[in-house]
Amino acid sequence: MKKLGLFILSFILCLGPFSIAMAQKSPTICAVHPFTGRFAFAGIEGSAAMQDVVDMANEGGGVNGKKIQYYWADGEYKDDVGIAAFKRLYAQYNPQIMFGQSTGMTKALGPEIKSRYKVLYSAYTMTSEAANPKENPYLFIAAPTYTEQFGVLLKYIAKEKPGANIAFFYSDTEFGREPIVAGREICKKMGLNLVAEEVSQVGGVDITTQVLDMKGKKVDYCIFQGFVSNPIAAVIKQSKDYGLNAKFMGTFWSTELQLLRELGPLADEYTGVTAYSFYFQEDVPMVKKIREWTQKKYPKVEYRSQSYMENYMTTLLFVECFKRADKMAGGITGDNLTKALQSIKNFDVGGLMPPVSIKSNSIPVGRVYRGNSKTVRFDPISDWIRME
Amino acid sequence: MRCGDYKENYIKDEEIFQSRFVKFWLALFFIFLIVFPFIANAYMLYIANMIGFAVIGAIGLNLLTGFTGQISLGHAAFIGVGAYTSAILITKYGVSFWLSIPLAGLVSALAGLVIGIPSLRVKGLYLCIATLAAQFIFGFVFVHWESMTKGITGIHIPPPRIGSLQFVTEKDFYWITIVFVVLGVGYARNLVRSKMGRAFVAIRDRDLAAEIMGINLFRYKLTAFAISSFYAGVSGALWVSFLKVVIPEHFPFMLCIQYLAMVIVGGLGSVIGSIFGAVFMTLVPELLNVLSDMVKSYAPGMGKLIIPFKQVVFGFLIVSFLIFEPRGLAEIWNRIKKFFTLWPFSY
Repeated sequence: MKKLGLFILSFILCLGPFSIAMAQKSPTICAVHPFTGRFAFAGIEGSAAMQDVVDMANEGGGVNGKKIQYYWADGEYKDDVGIAAFKRLYAQYNPQIMFGQSTGMTKALGPEIKSRYKVLYSAYTMTSEAANPKENPYLFIAAPTYTEQFGVLLKYIAKEKPGANIAFFYSDTEFGREPIVAGREICKKMGLNLVAEEVSQVGGVDITTQVLDMKGKKVDYCIFQGFVSNPIAAVIKQSKDYGLNAKFMGTFWSTELQLLRELGPLADEYTGVTAYSFYFQEDVPMVKKIREWTQKKYPKVEYRSQSYMENYMTTLLFVECFKRADKMAGGITGDNLTKALQSIKNFDVGGLMPPVSIKSNSIPVGRVYRGNSKTVRFDPISDWIRME
Repeated sequence: MRCGDYKENYIKDEEIFQSRFVKFWLALFFIFLIVFPFIANAYMLYIANMIGFAVIGAIGLNLLTGFTGQISLGHAAFIGVGAYTSAILITKYGVSFWLSIPLAGLVSALAGLVIGIPSLRVKGLYLCIATLAAQFIFGFVFVHWESMTKGITGIHIPPPRIGSLQFVTEKDFYWITIVFVVLGVGYARNLVRSKMGRAFVAIRDRDLAAEIMGINLFRYKLTAFAISSFYAGVSGALWVSFLKVVIPEHFPFMLCIQYLAMVIVGGLGSVIGSIFGAVFMTLVPELLNVLSDMVKSYAPGMGKLIIPFKQVVFGFLIVSFLIFEPRGLAEIWNRIKKFFTLWPFSY
């Protein structure tokens, strides 16, 4: 009975703080990060980036003298846990800006954000649904959508080899299928031949059939979508064994050093699109600033991933929106923050991206990088490419 | 003074509320359920709704696995069938939410009947694999039958309404959830003391002996599958109407495991065990989240260590329950009840 009593007591103690919804007047950001679960590789880096930008902004005087408050919780990359964390954070801190952990969570909360919460919202997603200001003005992504990333790659291919044979190689998931329909249309517009669409599961699966099919269809370029690493490395390795001389490309989440390490000497065969400069591009002013901050605060950290850069960029925009909304009549509200977001034109982010202009609640720009097996890094092979 | 479990006839033995003590606490619990939405915030009501959906789903699985002894790994698929049926009926055919819920249950029950057919020939692990097929078949259908399910994009569902009254917020939906939970628990509690319920238990304990006693195995096994899937379908339909969106990724294989864990931790073959299991599996991770947030706010540097640790704690709690009380939370509840029933002569 003592144990039961202890359990009830701890339950009451835990729920106590939530019965008081504290009205916060200071600018507040709340985030649900996938700190555990299969997307933790992004969540751990992303939460560090948000904390860093908030700390930097507060050291620099905050939002017109007001310190930014930042709170976060783990969503485990599960929609129900993430939504619960969103509601818990909202009830506890009453933020003006929120950040979510996935596409599923964004889709589930989208209608309520528009009708009830009215907070500026972004997430670990690049779905087109989060970049549709007519449907939902509160949602935005600080990156190109997956469709826009496909557009950047196809634009690059159309310039390098007009009329090339293209294959889409995607996972049978929401993440994998997202840009496929629009990708077909872009191929037609750019005069490229989409000759194959290969579907595979995520992970270490047999992809011999798909490789042989691409060889039979004389594919020049194969674009991956919906994978972080496996089976990309396996496809590239087997393609060499079977004599398929295609170039292999991927979008944001697979354009990371981990894949180059897995590819080893074949790293030169992989090309990816990303929206941000890499941590090793020391000549970029914003990267230099991030490196100095990291070395000062976390001397043991040697590398910051693209997930870090994505959240760093998002939080830079959050802070800028706070500053602009604070000067508007009514102060920092969700509606003023969306107006502030729309007013961002040619915003200098120190080369992390080219000067940022928000268009349809996304930033439709990317750069193509090729893997380098000797340095195990990505080298830029194009300038920034903008999509209309 | 009452100091034992003394009954003079079978009717007394089968009563749902067996003492004034039970009636009193149950009445108090209902009063709490009615007062709760007026004192709780949106987050607590969200969790309460999620517990409600889990209770309905867990009772369904317990009727099949706990009472009838048929292990199923297709429960998430049946929840998905109900969810999609309701969403499609509401958005594509303009059916009212209130009608879509029983229809979703019926379509799920039909799916359960079909998937349950192999149960007459196969048992145990083999039946597990047979029901696992449902998970993959329906998972494929949710993604690829785009004309109905809208594939990966999913379906946005409008909130339920009665005339001009809309059930938008967690508090509004709480009343719907409570009604369905009470109906679901009430039906299950009555079912298990009926002829059908006793047939389920007989099949679980020894199917050959049950058949010799005249129980039609095929009929009762399929009925158990149908009723279990009906509960799953209703749970899924309510869940997605609450979320206002349904996408294929809402019904992963892990959801089946979660429901199995609910009925095992709560207590196999016990209606109240299903409730305890659903509450435990939904509430404890949230409590651990709250506790880790509290630790994080007092010691900011500890957040990165504490958060992954909560999953270890949750796993440890489940294993501990299975080791120290294999009959689940329901058995702990029974011991507590006996303690009070026999007090002060509890020796």
